[in-house]
Amino acid sequence: MKDKIYDVAIIGAGIVGSMCAFHLSKYKLNIAVLEAGIDVASGTTRANSAIIHAGYDANEGSLKAKLNVKGSLMVEPIAKQLGVHYKRCGSLVIGFNEQDLDHLNRLLVRGKKNGVLGLEIIDEKRLHQMEPNVSKEAKYALYAPTAGIVCPYDLAYATCENACTNGADFFFEYKVDKIEKVGLSFSLYAKEKCVRAKYVINCAGLYADEIAGLISEKLPFEIIPRRGEYMLLDKCEKDTVSHTIFVTPSEKGKGILVSPTVDGNIIVGPNANIVESKADTGVTAEGLQEISQSAVTMVPNINLESVITTFAGVRSTPTSGDFYIKPSTKHPKFIHSAGIESPGLASSPAIALYILKLLEKAGLKLKERSDYITTRTKNGNCKLFCDMTEEERKRAIEKNPANAKIVCRCEMVTEGDIINAIHRPISAHTVDMVKRRTRAGMGRCQGGYCRARVAEIIARELNISVDEVKKFSSNSHILCGRTK
Amino acid sequence: MDKKLVIIGSGPAGMVCAINALKSGVAKEDILIIEREEELGGTLNLCIHTGFGKGNRTGTELATDLANQIKNYGIEYLVGTTVISFNKDKEITIVSPDIGYEKVKAEAIVLATGCRERSRGGLSIGGTRPSGVISAGTAQRFINIEGYLPGKKTIIVGTTNLALVIARRLSLEGGKVLCVCDARSKLQVDKKEIEECLEFFNIPLKLRTVVTKLFGKERLEAVELADLDKQGKIIRSTKRILKCDSLVYSCGFIPENEIASLAGVEIRKATHGPVVSKKLETSIEGVFSCGNSRFIHKDVISVMTDGKRVGKSVAEYLKKHKSQGGDGE
Repeated sequence: MKDKIYDVAIIGAGIVGSMCAFHLSKYKLNIAVLEAGIDVASGTTRANSAIIHAGYDANEGSLKAKLNVKGSLMVEPIAKQLGVHYKRCGSLVIGFNEQDLDHLNRLLVRGKKNGVLGLEIIDEKRLHQMEPNVSKEAKYALYAPTAGIVCPYDLAYATCENACTNGADFFFEYKVDKIEKVGLSFSLYAKEKCVRAKYVINCAGLYADEIAGLISEKLPFEIIPRRGEYMLLDKCEKDTVSHTIFVTPSEKGKGILVSPTVDGNIIVGPNANIVESKADTGVTAEGLQEISQSAVTMVPNINLESVITTFAGVRSTPTSGDFYIKPSTKHPKFIHSAGIESPGLASSPAIALYILKLLEKAGLKLKERSDYITTRTKNGNCKLFCDMTEEERKRAIEKNPANAKIVCRCEMVTEGDIINAIHRPISAHTVDMVKRRTRAGMGRCQGGYCRARVAEIIARELNISVDEVKKFSSNSHILCGRTK
Repeated sequence: MDKKLVIIGSGPAGMVCAINALKSGVAKEDILIIEREEELGGTLNLCIHTGFGKGNRTGTELATDLANQIKNYGIEYLVGTTVISFNKDKEITIVSPDIGYEKVKAEAIVLATGCRERSRGGLSIGGTRPSGVISAGTAQRFINIEGYLPGKKTIIVGTTNLALVIARRLSLEGGKVLCVCDARSKLQVDKKEIEECLEFFNIPLKLRTVVTKLFGKERLEAVELADLDKQGKIIRSTKRILKCDSLVYSCGFIPENEIASLAGVEIRKATHGPVVSKKLETSIEGVFSCGNSRFIHKDVISVMTDGKRVGKSVAEYLKKHKSQGGDGE
């Protein structure tokens, strides 16, 4: 291990790092992914709006605009290849007055220049036909039929699992704290451990500036942590809206949205508040109040009593306003990808290809491999029981009776699904890892019924005792010993 | 498989329904109870405390008694079997590790699927999302079934019967309950229960009090509590921080009607239970609802009364169905 020199090391397994791993693993390369968290998608990728933005928001000519439009069209084929839920639901930016209409027209012009297809302004009649629950006060809307929704962490899992299946090595709880250039390679240390690589991609998200600092480089902008709070509504509210609904944006950002999710819930949020700590993913009563009020302005009869959970994510907003994807000024083989705020998810596949180009320019040889596996595992993608057809369910149960044991009743997750998640290429060994891979505990009772059962299955499969099972990190144990 | 009457769920409502359908004239071989757990009894099996039905028995005792009656009457049942869907033609899809994937055709279905806990989403507590924050039902399973303590210094939010029982159980099993709090100013449970579950164990009850914030990155470390004024607004000056390692919440219950909604049964938004006729028949002909899946009942006796009622009316339905030469004839 110590002598192994990887061709490429990717710092950060958020959506950008995942996409880089996915694209790079098609070539004859040794790849290492170094992630500070316990799992893929531990940061911004875990908690965001899950929207594939069409691309009318970013200023024309910006890198953001270019990669957004290109990336948003790449998400669907990747999702299809890897069995990730994706839906092209379209988005509507609604306007209430002439002033809003002016703004929508500006967005329309900008979107067209950016190359967004199918954009149009629609009148209130059509708007209310498309979305009967949207406020009757809304008079116009900018309709973007190419906008979509996806499960962001599943997209990251899928791409990482595919990379892992194709031989990429993953290092978790590996927080790079020292970087040395030794000869032709970089030594990337985390405490006493060391991984060496010829090329490095810094896609550490909120911490990309700190990684740059380890090679004594100061990025030409600051990363501001901006927290966005969200509420998730029960699936019984799924008919609230069928498109992603935004209000006409203000200087504060794209504003709060009400949108369906690919899993059939309704998501409301985010606000945008600058926070002191990059890790501050707490929610506040005031913040939830703020997003509730906005949601009611857009969709007056939205049922906020059906909120099943609230959460917050922190995005890395660059003071420069654009993505920064460039080789280090000190080391041409060290590529920074920083300031990836919204629409980072939509842009991510294109960002990865852009990074590949930079790596090639710096000398990396991309030779296609003949033994590339296109799916998540050697045995295909990991279809969950709830997504199977009747025939597939029958076969799955015949193959493994554990598939006939429903563990999470809200989301119809079977014991077989959970066992699979535990033994997939990147093992889900905590309750939250299982939850995000299978949806066990994500329904309306939020794990009230299944959490104990999930913990029991993890313990059994990994041959540990139940009180050793963690929620997410090493000190997040669920239990405190035996009863009397 | 064909069955005249399929009862989904074997809690007190489902079992009493089966017994009463039998007493009302449905033949024992025409009845099938489907239960997803390994034993008959539903939620009763988690309840090792007393207060269930006549004679102040434990939940498990009541479950055993009802299950014995089912067995003695020779009523057929499947355990470890989950109904994943049914349709308007009353064709039911079941899965089980033993049977695999099967269809059952019924003439009548009784939904006795019980309820689930509400999530804490509605509480809108601020702060972090550490481990150590669990529902009362999860706590009950960890303690009563697995034999593990979910926390050593616990704050309980909510004063449902289940919350109070968990406060007592934690105290008995070696944990310390710092307080039980509730946003309301009046309780909906008996004074006697407060006495037996809290006062005997010196657990303070704090009404008009809410948890406003959680602290702790990995495991819960503390919570912020605040009092509410008469209008239900937080009194800022009363905010205080209490160190603890766990929070158990009990936000009430919601009728479980996932498969019913999938089938197209009309659900009342206010109760989350099906819209039913006087005969407890839902919007789909021949599909009935009872117990906590119809609405949340105040105690097990009223759940059993509901089961009894539906047992009789489904028997009448089957009689009528037969005389009209319904399908299967």
